Amino acid sequence: MTAVLEAHGLGKRYRRLWALADCTLSIPAGHVVGLVGPNGAGKTTLLSLATGLLAPTTGTIEVLGGPPPASPAQLARVGFVAQDAPVYAGLPVTDHLRLGAHLNPGWDAELARDRIERLDLDPGQKAGKLSGGQRAQLALTLAIAKRPELLLLDEPVASLDPLARREFLQDLMESVAEQELSVVLSSHLVADLERVCDYLIVLVGSRVRVAGPVEELLATHHLLSGPRRDPDTLPAGQQVISASHTDRQSTLLVRTSDPVLDPAWTVSEVGLEDLVLAYMSQAAGRGRRNHHLEVQK
Amino acid sequence: MIWLTWRQFRAQAVTAIAALAAFAVLLAVTGPHLASLYGASGITGCHGGSCGQLASNFLSQLGTGIYPVVYVLGIAGIVLAPAVIGIFWGAPLIAREFEAGTFRLAWTQSVTRTRWLAVKLTLAGLVAMAVTEALSLIQSWWGAPIGQAARLATTSSFPLGMSPFSPLDFAAHGIVPLGYAAFAFTLGVTAGVLLRRAIPAMAITLAVFAAIQVAMPLGIRPHLFPPKNATAAISSFTSLPTQIGPDGTFAFSVDYLPSQPGAWILSSGAVNAAGQPVGTSPAACKSGALAGSPAWTPCLASHGIRIAVSYQPTRRYWPLQWTETAIYLVLALVLAGYCFRRLGRRVS
Repeated sequence: MTAVLEAHGLGKRYRRLWALADCTLSIPAGHVVGLVGPNGAGKTTLLSLATGLLAPTTGTIEVLGGPPPASPAQLARVGFVAQDAPVYAGLPVTDHLRLGAHLNPGWDAELARDRIERLDLDPGQKAGKLSGGQRAQLALTLAIAKRPELLLLDEPVASLDPLARREFLQDLMESVAEQELSVVLSSHLVADLERVCDYLIVLVGSRVRVAGPVEELLATHHLLSGPRRDPDTLPAGQQVISASHTDRQSTLLVRTSDPVLDPAWTVSEVGLEDLVLAYMSQAAGRGRRNHHLEVQK
Repeated sequence: MIWLTWRQFRAQAVTAIAALAAFAVLLAVTGPHLASLYGASGITGCHGGSCGQLASNFLSQLGTGIYPVVYVLGIAGIVLAPAVIGIFWGAPLIAREFEAGTFRLAWTQSVTRTRWLAVKLTLAGLVAMAVTEALSLIQSWWGAPIGQAARLATTSSFPLGMSPFSPLDFAAHGIVPLGYAAFAFTLGVTAGVLLRRAIPAMAITLAVFAAIQVAMPLGIRPHLFPPKNATAAISSFTSLPTQIGPDGTFAFSVDYLPSQPGAWILSSGAVNAAGQPVGTSPAACKSGALAGSPAWTPCLASHGIRIAVSYQPTRRYWPLQWTETAIYLVLALVLAGYCFRRLGRRVS
């Protein structure tokens, strides 16, 4: 499996603020990747770098084996839905499809038409009059119908109500299954991603904290509870992600590829949400070394 | 890309072409009557001194009708069109994409940013130039009799068009409107690219373009070619606007040169026999009763005082038009080049 996105020491600075720093990452093909992190963690910056909307300050990034997005051919291979799903408010839905057809050589007109029909979008409706969910669907239709190999979605469901959220993600999963796409979608809510992602990247404070297949992450993280104990006395190979203590009891989230044998511990499974939260609070605990900056330029 | 550009630009282009068509209809309706009045005036085929009087009669005949209004309207339209284009077409062209975030949509289709900008600039820019120049051409066609008569007339009550070199007349005719339109449009686009906000970009475009359009006729156009200098006898001027101050000071300013009819007079004044500027009457002509009386100017002339004029001859009209147009077009290209660099490099 080749990497759809590979970054080495990637960084982006706005004047004096680093929106993304020292990001090294390799995302294998064929996954639905959740890029999760709090607001201002650098998710938008990373995706903007991947689409070539931004140029990196330091390091390198390669998308589908090439630097983004030098040529029309390279642009054609990556579909992108930006944050808040921008569309032309004054143009009706059908003109957006025509736009897609004119600007993308690989445009799949039938797919686009079918999707619009299935989603019950009125083709004559001006895009500015669509609801948030419909707008996101229209933007996704544009991105999918160009038949990309990689689909990048920046907070696609952030502005949607829970029902629209579920419909959007469900529909996305169907398209992914049909087209064998690789997908990277960002969100600040793990719950959104839990159902659809099989690969997870946690980005906090402009740095990648953990990345890997969801199954593997769940298999190697354990929640240990038992009598109070200093986390430093754990055996090597057990990496403490978070720890909380009461007077008599300790609760630790550890990462280890070996089974936990110590009988003093009660070992339990950890959910994806807890896992992500642990990494986020770990990053916060180390202090806010990096300025947080939500990229909205 | 051409389709999208046209789709986004369609409404503006149609509005402009409709306005142009409406104005053309107005001119087409009034034009034939104007031409027949001119034909009946006897100016065509006139000889010598009679021409001036015939032309003056023709103009005063028009002065009561709709023609001066249409004439002024046309000139105003041509002079304002580039500014309007820069503000309403140029400034929002890219700025609006930034404001709405739609540049993220446009730049992630399978079309490079360079091509996207090139098509937008070319299409909208060419329409801008074509509309402005078309407006200028139909106005010139319609106004030709008036322009002709204004050049011959000895006196004129007509509002504009006394000389093809007058700032408004020069700016509204020939090929300079092409250059103005191209420049104003790219100026607006550049402001939009820099500020990323349509309204501030529109304001900046208006301010900068207005400043340049004022500076051009006042400070730059007169010096595009080195002015020529000539002196003429006081007696050769039929009218000599004069300011007389205390203690025998005086100043002349003339707006024509008898030996160079139609030339663009840049400055004028009195000089003595040695060619030095003078502002004070010689002692012999200084007596209170003499100043301003009919005997005064012959007195000055008898002391060797002549009128010195710095001017651009008539034959430089087209070289000036070409040079000025070229300057504006080069500026437009420089600005466009800057937009390409800016969008290509520092983005989002």
